[in-house]
Amino acid sequence: MENLESKILQTDSLEALEKVRIELFGKKGLLAAQFAKMKDIPGPEKKAFAEGLNKQKASLQALFDKRYDELKTEEIERLLKAEAIDVSLYGTLAQKGALHPVMETMDKIIDYFTALNFSVETGGMIEDDFHNFEALNLPKYHPARDMQDTFYFKDGGLLRTHTSPVQIRTMLKEKPPIRMIAPGAVFRRDYDVTHTPMFHQVEGLVVDEKGKVSFANLKAILTDFLQYMFGDVDVRFRPSFFPFTEPSAEVDISCIFCGGEGCRVCSHTGWIEILGCGIVDPNVFKAVDYKDVSGYAFGLGVERIAMLMHKIPDLRSLFEGDIRLLEQFR
Amino acid sequence: MIVTRTWLDEFIDLNGVSDETLYETFNAIGLEVDSMEKIDIPAKVVIGKIISCEKHPDADKLNVCQIDIGSSVEQIVCGAANVVDAEYVAVATVGAILPGNFKIKPAKLRGVESNGMVCSSSELGLPDMGKGIMILDESIGELEVGRELATYEKVADTIIELELTANRGDCLSIYGVARDLSAALNIDMKPFEYKQAERMKLGIARKVELHLKGDVEADLRYKLASIEDMESSFLIDLRLAMVKVEAQNVLEKILAYATHTTGVILRMYDCAAFCSEENDKVIISVEGHEKGIVHVHLNGKHASIVGVSQTEETLPKPHCKEVLIEASYINPDLLSEAVANLDIEKDELFYKTSRGSNPDLGFGLAFLAYLLETYTQISCYEGSLDVEVEREPVKILIDAREISSIVGMEIELGKIATVLQKLGFSMTMMDEHQIAVKVPLFRHDIKNIQDIAEEIVRIIGINNIPAKPLVFAEKKRLNATSERFKAKKALRNRAVGVGFYENVSYVFSDKVLLEKYGFEVTEPELELANPIAEELNTLRSTMLVNMLQAVKRNVSYSKKSIPLFEIGAVFDAKRNQSEKAAFVFAGESEPESVKNAGKPAPVDFAGFTQKLGSVIGHFELLPCTDNNGLIHPYQSADIVMDGKVVGFMSKLHPVAQEEYGIPVTFIAELDFEALLPKHINARPISKFQGVYKDLSIVIDKSVNYYEVAKVLESLSLPLLKESYPVDIYTDEKLGDKKSLTIRFFIQSMEKTLEESDIEEVMKEIMKALEKAFGAELR
Repeated sequence: MENLESKILQTDSLEALEKVRIELFGKKGLLAAQFAKMKDIPGPEKKAFAEGLNKQKASLQALFDKRYDELKTEEIERLLKAEAIDVSLYGTLAQKGALHPVMETMDKIIDYFTALNFSVETGGMIEDDFHNFEALNLPKYHPARDMQDTFYFKDGGLLRTHTSPVQIRTMLKEKPPIRMIAPGAVFRRDYDVTHTPMFHQVEGLVVDEKGKVSFANLKAILTDFLQYMFGDVDVRFRPSFFPFTEPSAEVDISCIFCGGEGCRVCSHTGWIEILGCGIVDPNVFKAVDYKDVSGYAFGLGVERIAMLMHKIPDLRSLFEGDIRLLEQFR
Repeated sequence: MIVTRTWLDEFIDLNGVSDETLYETFNAIGLEVDSMEKIDIPAKVVIGKIISCEKHPDADKLNVCQIDIGSSVEQIVCGAANVVDAEYVAVATVGAILPGNFKIKPAKLRGVESNGMVCSSSELGLPDMGKGIMILDESIGELEVGRELATYEKVADTIIELELTANRGDCLSIYGVARDLSAALNIDMKPFEYKQAERMKLGIARKVELHLKGDVEADLRYKLASIEDMESSFLIDLRLAMVKVEAQNVLEKILAYATHTTGVILRMYDCAAFCSEENDKVIISVEGHEKGIVHVHLNGKHASIVGVSQTEETLPKPHCKEVLIEASYINPDLLSEAVANLDIEKDELFYKTSRGSNPDLGFGLAFLAYLLETYTQISCYEGSLDVEVEREPVKILIDAREISSIVGMEIELGKIATVLQKLGFSMTMMDEHQIAVKVPLFRHDIKNIQDIAEEIVRIIGINNIPAKPLVFAEKKRLNATSERFKAKKALRNRAVGVGFYENVSYVFSDKVLLEKYGFEVTEPELELANPIAEELNTLRSTMLVNMLQAVKRNVSYSKKSIPLFEIGAVFDAKRNQSEKAAFVFAGESEPESVKNAGKPAPVDFAGFTQKLGSVIGHFELLPCTDNNGLIHPYQSADIVMDGKVVGFMSKLHPVAQEEYGIPVTFIAELDFEALLPKHINARPISKFQGVYKDLSIVIDKSVNYYEVAKVLESLSLPLLKESYPVDIYTDEKLGDKKSLTIRFFIQSMEKTLEESDIEEVMKEIMKALEKAFGAELR
């Protein structure tokens, strides 16, 4: 008996165990042979013999099952081990690209304003003097035209210097109330470390009945917008001048680099200029023949915001498809 | 515009107003502070009086001075040539520490003891006032020997550079800035009172005649004076240096100083340029030319254009005796327009006149006279000769309720009146809500009630206006453009998902390159008139040229796998704008890794097509009909979606690849319009089992799969649901034939197919292919 037990226990593989199984439990196995002896055993002892034999079989079976489980576990473990790999080798296979930070920033801006029920409007990049300047209260020879060095075409057309012409075209096409943003590329004839001849703007315009839209409304939405973009920043409005708005203001946020302490980025003022805005000048409404309305408008440079948000040092690199920059945004 | 604190103080009492308050106030009222610098004169720099000055025994260029510094008389060696003219100077005494941590110690210079240093302006951290030491005078206050220079406010001043917006010509003077401050700080202006002592009793009319010709749209006032004994003034020199105004001689300096102070345009004409001893009369002929252009001739000689320029020869010379003084004002809008049309030379005063100079000519002349009296011996002829334009002042009816609704907070009429009064407006009360105001001429930028609202907002401070959300009516504003942006964003994200980087490049391109590669270029008469650079001299008709430049740059940054995409505007020869999506994949098809033993295969047609499909969805490829120098003639295709050609894809032509110096590259450019999501209706799905069947046929090598597909499609077999190529095989035995294996999916909507049904379909297919291509079963 002990002999049989050790036979089971000494097996070292499922194959060996299977051999033992046949030897013990098979039709011609040892146990079968024992049971065969039953017929020779006299009646009164038969019962005890059978009981003893069954007990022995059950105990061997239990031992077998246990050994089987052990060997099976070992076998799986061996198989698993054989498939072992160094997972740390494969962390670099990802083939994801990245959105351009300027475009992604533009998406974020558009998301905000569409969530506030603004429509998105676009227009052509080639414009005429009326839609880009005149209708925006920038008559010819207005000194403010100096602020915008313009690309002209030989036939007198020009590349829009802001997305404001989209506002004019929308107003000419639709009746108030208007709630719109105009995102897109704009062009100024300027090319140095801090200027590129093309950049992106998002401008907004809200027009409603006279007396409804006020400067206080502009403060409310822009403060909220800038805190959505930059988190917990202070927002400051400074009076300024734009020909198409009156009153006009420039909006600053507390410096996101130094928290308003003063650093190189904010020229030690603690503030960073971020956008321009104002109440729409009556001359603009006159140009599109709107009567008895009030409205506000604002405009911001997307590159500037993207650079501030992501601490991108070089403006020009944004237009060079530089993967060293882009891959950081994967 | 640069101002200084003590200069402003001549017109508004800034006692008790800190520099910080000034800084905040300027910003709050829209005069943005660009920089603010408090001059910090080091301690132990004192007023010294030179008692004697002798040549250094051993050095030509040095002088040995005995200088009274109050507590003692010290011997100081000085290297500046102008020390011989000096009486009072700034002396850095022993122990003083000058900027740059320069410590003053007793020293020996060429054997002579020196206990201190006579200072130049830059040595003390003041703006550069030219060569030599500073020669002080009483213009900065009473000179007390031994008193620290730092205690002289006019020297240890605060310099404030303001960035003015284009509409604020009225603040291009110290006086104008002070006026704005007066409204903001609610401090009254100090009156400038000066009665000119007219020493010469001769009336100006005895010597000068004034003639007008044409429409003269300028205000002019002339005075004639004799000047002698001009003295320079330390304060004028110092302040002009502080505000970065350059002037050559004493008279020019005085003129520049008076203009910077008052904002009135002042000129002096040297009478020697147009008078002689025999004829000392002056005939001024003022001639209105084009609208806005007024010429001044003196004794028949052209002398100036009002607000624009003055001839060199009539400028005041250092020792001129008799001068004609002119104050002028011309409407800036008229002037700017006229000058822009004429393309004439302009001097530095034009910046002021084109933005609106101070029309108060009397004030300008009085201030100038005060300076001349102080610093020269001047004798003026009595009276002046004047030209004045009749102007109707701008009048605006102001309703406090309207202002309040523009601003979005309640503003009382009384407050509005106070602000406007301080800003120089005159007014009449109409009723409890309204006042009528007359806009002063110097505020030519103010024309309507919203301009007035801006003034109110400026002075009460935007930060004092409480924010208030706008209440508006709900309306659906999701228009086609919004949807387009959404679709674009989804497409961009898919491109990123398969590994492309989003590129943004200029809509400009290099005309030479576009032409070289056979792309459309803008017609010459529609071309850019003023491009900013050679390589950006036209509008792009393709994005690929710019993107290949980006690939080239990335190659130079050692990038080996360069997948880029861009969605942007392109322009045809007529400058019509459209939107395209372009894809470029250069170099290795995937990142280097253990997966590819560090040697990924270069990008190939199949791989590129697969990526493209993952971004833009299903398409067919047909032989390429597009034709440009970037296209590889044998590995290129038209991209067809819904039966329409929407763009092309290609291996980059090896010649172009070599010219760009980049690895194997694939390109594609498509109309973005065609990529917008389309409406889809679902088809019924069969409940019955379908079967896949493969068919291998031998056909001519020259037969393209799309031709086979066309034949299969023309059969319109209802049971044939799908067919696609799965294998292509050639060998020597096949010669100019190839073996093509096509997989078919056969399924019925009505029943489970019998073997015979399938056989029949396959038979028909084979028959058609036999007929069309002489296909044989392999």
